[in-house]
Amino acid sequence: MREGSETNMANHSFDKDWITLATRPAAGSRGDVVASVHDVCKAYPGVQALDCVSLEIKRGEIHALLGQNGAGKSTLIKMLSGAERPDAGELRVEGRGISFRSPQEAQRAGIFTIYQELSLVPELTVAENIFVADLPRGRLGTVDWRLVRSEAAKAMAWLGFPVDVDAQVKRLSVAQKQGVELAKALHRNAKVVLLDEPSAALPQPEVERLFQVLRSLRDSGFAIVYISHRLEEVESLCDVATVLRDGRKVGSFRVCETSQTELIRAMIGRELAASLVGDTSIGEKKPRLGSGVRGEVALSVRELGDGVAVRGVSFDLHRGEILGVTGLMGNGQSELAACIFGARRGTFGEVRVNGRRARIRKPANAIRSGIGFLPEERKTQGLVLSMSIESNITMASQGRFSRLSVINTGKERRLVDSMIEALHIRTTSSRQAVGSLSGGNQQKVVLAKWLASECGILIFSEPTRGVDVSAKEEMYKLIRDFAANGGAVLIFSSELPEAMFCDRVLVMSRGAFVGELAYDEIDARADAILNLCCS
Amino acid sequence: MPSQLSSLPAGAKRAVRSLFTSYLLVVLAVSVLGGWAASPYFLTVRNLGNVLTFAAVVSIIAVGQFFVIVTGGIDLSVGSIAALATVVAAVLMKAGASAVEASVAALAASALAGSISGLLVTKAGITPFITTLAMMSIARGLSYMVQFGSLIGIADERFIWFFSGKTGPASNPIVLFLLIMLLAAFVMSRTTYGRRLYAIGGNAEAARLSGLPVERTTFSVYMLSGLLSGLGGLVLAAQLTQGSSLLAMGYELDTIAAVVVGGASLAGGTGGPIGAVVGGLIIAILGNIMNLLTIPSEPQQVVKGVLILIAVVFISGKGGTRSRRQNRKGPAKKAAGAAEAALAEAASAKVTAGEESSAARAINIEASIR
Repeated sequence: MREGSETNMANHSFDKDWITLATRPAAGSRGDVVASVHDVCKAYPGVQALDCVSLEIKRGEIHALLGQNGAGKSTLIKMLSGAERPDAGELRVEGRGISFRSPQEAQRAGIFTIYQELSLVPELTVAENIFVADLPRGRLGTVDWRLVRSEAAKAMAWLGFPVDVDAQVKRLSVAQKQGVELAKALHRNAKVVLLDEPSAALPQPEVERLFQVLRSLRDSGFAIVYISHRLEEVESLCDVATVLRDGRKVGSFRVCETSQTELIRAMIGRELAASLVGDTSIGEKKPRLGSGVRGEVALSVRELGDGVAVRGVSFDLHRGEILGVTGLMGNGQSELAACIFGARRGTFGEVRVNGRRARIRKPANAIRSGIGFLPEERKTQGLVLSMSIESNITMASQGRFSRLSVINTGKERRLVDSMIEALHIRTTSSRQAVGSLSGGNQQKVVLAKWLASECGILIFSEPTRGVDVSAKEEMYKLIRDFAANGGAVLIFSSELPEAMFCDRVLVMSRGAFVGELAYDEIDARADAILNLCCS
Repeated sequence: MPSQLSSLPAGAKRAVRSLFTSYLLVVLAVSVLGGWAASPYFLTVRNLGNVLTFAAVVSIIAVGQFFVIVTGGIDLSVGSIAALATVVAAVLMKAGASAVEASVAALAASALAGSISGLLVTKAGITPFITTLAMMSIARGLSYMVQFGSLIGIADERFIWFFSGKTGPASNPIVLFLLIMLLAAFVMSRTTYGRRLYAIGGNAEAARLSGLPVERTTFSVYMLSGLLSGLGGLVLAAQLTQGSSLLAMGYELDTIAAVVVGGASLAGGTGGPIGAVVGGLIIAILGNIMNLLTIPSEPQQVVKGVLILIAVVFISGKGGTRSRRQNRKGPAKKAAGAAEAALAEAASAKVTAGEESSAARAINIEASIR
């Protein structure tokens, strides 16, 4: 044992004063380039993922990385985090050229990446997670748990997440887990923190809190790279935005001098003239998803609940109608969707489909009654990623393509091809694995699955989450077409602009409906929705 | 590889690609060539006939094992159930039952044992590994109890002819396993049942939310695996003209190896029954070559183990890296992928700590240390 180096290291990493960290003059001043990428290229089989992209990440700046799915954002992140190596070009950290052979090397250079799915050990405690790679040793070579706990508590408190450091990470909320990830990065002397869509799984108030944390990190001299699909967030949080498109850099923009429309234009490379996303700002004339024509009642729900997250909810959904359910995330929307679809145990209440009582005990019952459900977790709930597009599309309607359980492949192929064409699913072959498609195309496959089952009622949960701008537009058009052909649509969305497109909006709070607004009322009373949400 | 491919004309590209997709046949052909080079006796009708005849039992059981593995499960009880079938058939025939009665009873007992595993997995929620580990012990013990003493000889000519004799020039066990393999291949590729199995193995939650009867289907694969184990047992009993609780030892590992070498992933959702059979044949042929070269059985075991590892790295490993990349978002899947990469370690970890959580934990620790 080399005692000397051991204690040295301990001094270096554990006597960090979290309070002074907040105001610590970072080694160098604000605006210095910490890390940079110069003319980096990367090709995967058949795709030029990055084509001569350069980027400068500066101290004391929050740098947004924007682009549609497949624009090259994640490839660029992989270069910076050491997960992949560029074919050409150079990475520099504090002016020195460097090449990372592994994520560990990037972390040693001070670059930490926080992925959406987080890399914490759920069974370990907060303190153990923060110190997992370098537990401090006491005199006997045993772990100095007291130091671990007190340092972890200080770090979490400084970041504004006052959690019990002895709690297992699996018991924490997503926001708190992100806090632990940040503490882990800071503890290991991060200079640059990359965050991959951190707000995607957070409820609104938590997002605001995360922003505060990020802002204070920026103010104490850290460099932050923020990847998000939500332009509003970029506007309120970031200083600089770099837009990528098709593996090339479109440009870097100072966010305060650039409008959302300009950023969207840079991302998709064309004007969204009559698009649904182009003009969503409150007060302008807004687009409408539904036609406003209402048929007879398709789905009637009475006193539906599960005794926990959903407390006796009633509503009617008409044919041709697009009904929105909005509210802050975590107020029972996803549970209500699961209750209607029979995917949740212990539900009570009555569901009628086309006037007839439907006994829905499991999803198969709901599907037989003509209900389809597009869950918010596409990859884990909506699709079998290892199967082909074809098998995924016909998964919910097997009976229609088979006799005595033998599949009529010709019939199946014809239907699948017509779906691929009608929904503009971009693929080379229907035999391609669904996992290789982009987010927007995957969502279309889920929709195709329900259209193939010929259901009359579609329940969407966060239909455009993680979907790029132009795919979002296409998705809205498909929803509109479905309703125009007499389908009934129920959209659960925590994104206000999306709810505003609907014919009617129900506002949900703490497991119950607290208000209902018609299409005309939503515009003027957007504030009202927000108030209802928070009631 | 793909970058080199892009410079070739389209037709050649397709040819090269199809060569890679049928890599199993290539490996099979290479091992046959190896055998031809190694020994003049290898390519004789008699030798190859023997190889296939002895491979029949493992092949039949491997098809059942495949059905379980494709759903993401595993069946460790196949060897014990096969032994139970040999004993039940032998005891009944000794007591005067006809070959048909004895076979039906043995198959029913095997299917019943499989069904019990299936019920425990689906209704009681016990992991397949533990459930079938218990069934492995129970079935072996039962077969000993039924046998009551030493092995029981089988003298029924019709039984021996049907399961191990010849019809014209064709050997019955070979015809039987080929029929079962082809039937299983048809079921997997052309029926709704096969689709369901792939869907459940790929993503059980998505399958449930698409209205598929996940529980019923999962139950059925264990029953099917039990049934096919029993059938394999009957062939074995006829070949050896005896029923004994000591037969079919280690067949669970032989069949798992066959399925994995055949390209299926232990995480479920991939592979095919023909692959499983071919995988078993490759192992059998290599064993035969080594026998012809009079290599002792200990080095043979080492070679067999190395072969399985190579197969996992080059065959499933190819899918493994891909699925690992795809499934960054599904930790459970990730765990399964890793379990496959470390077949042996995963097995011991599973016993001690209960399948996925321990593997997932190991991966997470690994990830955060990085």
